[in-house]
Amino acid sequence: MSWEKIWLVLRREYLYNFKRPSFLFTAFGVPLLTLVAMFLIFTFTADRETNLDNWQRVGYIDRAGVIDPALAVENDVTFQPVTDPALDTPAADAPDDERRAYFDALEASAAQQVAADNLDAYFVVDEHYTLNGQVTVSSERNLPAALTSDIEDFMRAQIAAQAPAELPVSVERLSDPMSVVIRDLDNDEELTETMLVGRIMLPFVFVFIYFMATSTTSQFLMSGVVEEKENRLMEILATSLRPLELLWGKMLGLGALSLTQVALWAGAGVVLASLHEGASELFSGTTFQAGDILLVLVLFVTNFLLFAAIMMAIGAAVTAEAESRQVASVITLITVAPMALLVTFFNNPDGPLPLFFTFFPLTSAVGLILRMGLTTIPTWQIVAVLAIQVVSVLVLMWLAAKIFRLGMLMYGKPLTPRTFWNALREGRVVLTTATESQAELPDNLPQKRSVGR
Amino acid sequence: MNPSASDQAIAVRNVTKRYGDFTAVNDLTFDVQRGEIFSMLGPNGAGKTTTIRMILDILKPDTGQITLFGSPISDRTKERIGYMPEERGLYRNVPVIDVLGYLGQLKGMSAHDAQTRARALLEQLGLEENIKSKVSELSKGMQQKVQVIATVLHRPDLVIIDEPFSGLDPVNTQAIKDMLYEMNREGVTIVMSTHQMHQIEEMAHRLLMVSRGKRVLYGNVQEVRDRFAEHAIIVEGEGDWSALPGVASVDPGDNGREVVLHLREGFQPDDVMQALAVSSEYHIRRFELAVPSLTEIFIQVAGNNHVPEQL
Repeated sequence: MSWEKIWLVLRREYLYNFKRPSFLFTAFGVPLLTLVAMFLIFTFTADRETNLDNWQRVGYIDRAGVIDPALAVENDVTFQPVTDPALDTPAADAPDDERRAYFDALEASAAQQVAADNLDAYFVVDEHYTLNGQVTVSSERNLPAALTSDIEDFMRAQIAAQAPAELPVSVERLSDPMSVVIRDLDNDEELTETMLVGRIMLPFVFVFIYFMATSTTSQFLMSGVVEEKENRLMEILATSLRPLELLWGKMLGLGALSLTQVALWAGAGVVLASLHEGASELFSGTTFQAGDILLVLVLFVTNFLLFAAIMMAIGAAVTAEAESRQVASVITLITVAPMALLVTFFNNPDGPLPLFFTFFPLTSAVGLILRMGLTTIPTWQIVAVLAIQVVSVLVLMWLAAKIFRLGMLMYGKPLTPRTFWNALREGRVVLTTATESQAELPDNLPQKRSVGR
Repeated sequence: MNPSASDQAIAVRNVTKRYGDFTAVNDLTFDVQRGEIFSMLGPNGAGKTTTIRMILDILKPDTGQITLFGSPISDRTKERIGYMPEERGLYRNVPVIDVLGYLGQLKGMSAHDAQTRARALLEQLGLEENIKSKVSELSKGMQQKVQVIATVLHRPDLVIIDEPFSGLDPVNTQAIKDMLYEMNREGVTIVMSTHQMHQIEEMAHRLLMVSRGKRVLYGNVQEVRDRFAEHAIIVEGEGDWSALPGVASVDPGDNGREVVLHLREGFQPDDVMQALAVSSEYHIRRFELAVPSLTEIFIQVAGNNHVPEQL
């Protein structure tokens, strides 16, 4: 084999398919759109929720009498009591009715002040606040989350100031009594809730990326072979290089393209994690160690080769691209079966079906990665999966090379399994060419010709 | 003439190829001399394409031997061949210059050399405007020309073309023909497989006709035609043709103007011509030997009434 020619084919397949609009969109468009969307969310939504520059004039009406105006509270916004010079403040021992009438009038005044743009917002501490904790915030605009958070902090500080000094529980504990910590008994590490979501979700993300990358590029491979067959380029190529050189060049070229896609997506993930604290925490929840990443990569390569071998064989065996897509969709269906039956993984990740998907060559990568997030996989299973993968790759590549050699010069007639089986059994190749069509064969001959190869 | 191995571009010796029970090529032997234009012809399914594929090492013969330029086929000798199959195509959504560059490199050219030569050939065939066009944007004739360029780009010593002129208008046919003639003048051996007999008559030095996998005609084009010549002459004019010496019978010709004079054993066309020259009773507008066209020979041979030629 000439590595120079393999390199030429590899480079051509890589560059040609890299420039395809569908690849550019999948590889760059999807991560870019995600990043842009995240950026927009952070820039506009987050800013709107956290920026309190336009919310500096917020008043309060304390019907319960729990707020001490003299208490210094560290907040972005300094809250002031709502006042109205036209209203007389009732005496401390004034009857309840009088006090209620005063606060009603003060609320009406506050509403007018907001309408006149003298106030941005005001909040009313309910008369029975100590019992019901009710605080009503009024404004003409949508309230940012940061403001309600500030009001909460303000009220907490007020209550804390009034709590008995000997109270053994802090006010913070009273207001937020539970902070969940999840301990992973496998490696004795503590997880936050976000990290836990990451632990379960990330394998799905891996599976998705893996699936997109593999299926996109292996379909490119298939349609490339079909195109070369359909337009008879194969015959010209066959006079320039050996079938195995062509096969390896294509596989390696599109394999590299597939890895490029994964790298781009992974890069986008890293950028996302560095931009957003939450995403970073999500990623940190994964149980994936360096060894796991290596395993995923190995599975990625073996599964790509399996897929590519199958797609190339389909491309060589069929006569038209539409036909090839139909056959390929069956293979794709088998591969996504673990995703369709996801619930079985959640119910019992070590159950018979998830185990089957782990060992079945076409679903190994998806099955194993999905289980990684849900259970601890015994070493023997990983070894067995890798062994099955390597054997399957060798067998399928061998078959694909046979089919490729058989089918590459067959025009207008599909390569049937029976024909292929006969060819394998006899060690011979059966083909019919377009230029020597069957109709012109003598009548007493079978409608196929065997060619020693 | 018994050419030495070094004079042979292709030597096919007793090659047989079977597809199951069917013998596609049956004990076929022929040579293609360096620097000649050689034509292969035969009815559909005769074994031409199988033979070409065996020469190109796409298929292996069951028995027999094929050598190119005096040695067995190797990757190195394959790079000396330019091949254009009958049903052709190129990568459709790729610029012309890129397709040619890729195919040239696969034949061992450097990227720069492939690009430079592709540009020169595209200009020679009037496609300089289409260098960056995608193949799918070209007309059928233009695509055909690009295909020919792809075949000869790497300066092959041997060009094998299946039906070089199919689908081409007269102008483009002439352009391709001129290119092939020019290459042939430069020493390139050209093998054409075609059904267009008049092109063979015009271009080919020698021919091979196969039928049902066997060689039925082989040799110099003119010699083959002469071999099929009847013992007759065709004349146009006025006079009593049956009164001429040596004329056995007179048949009216196909077009109503000419007549075919069949000659007796022992008489030659020259004898008739001498008699006509000295007689004032005959007025002659045309006199020629009744040599059949290759088309007639093809029909006659391919019509199964011919015993395969013995070597």
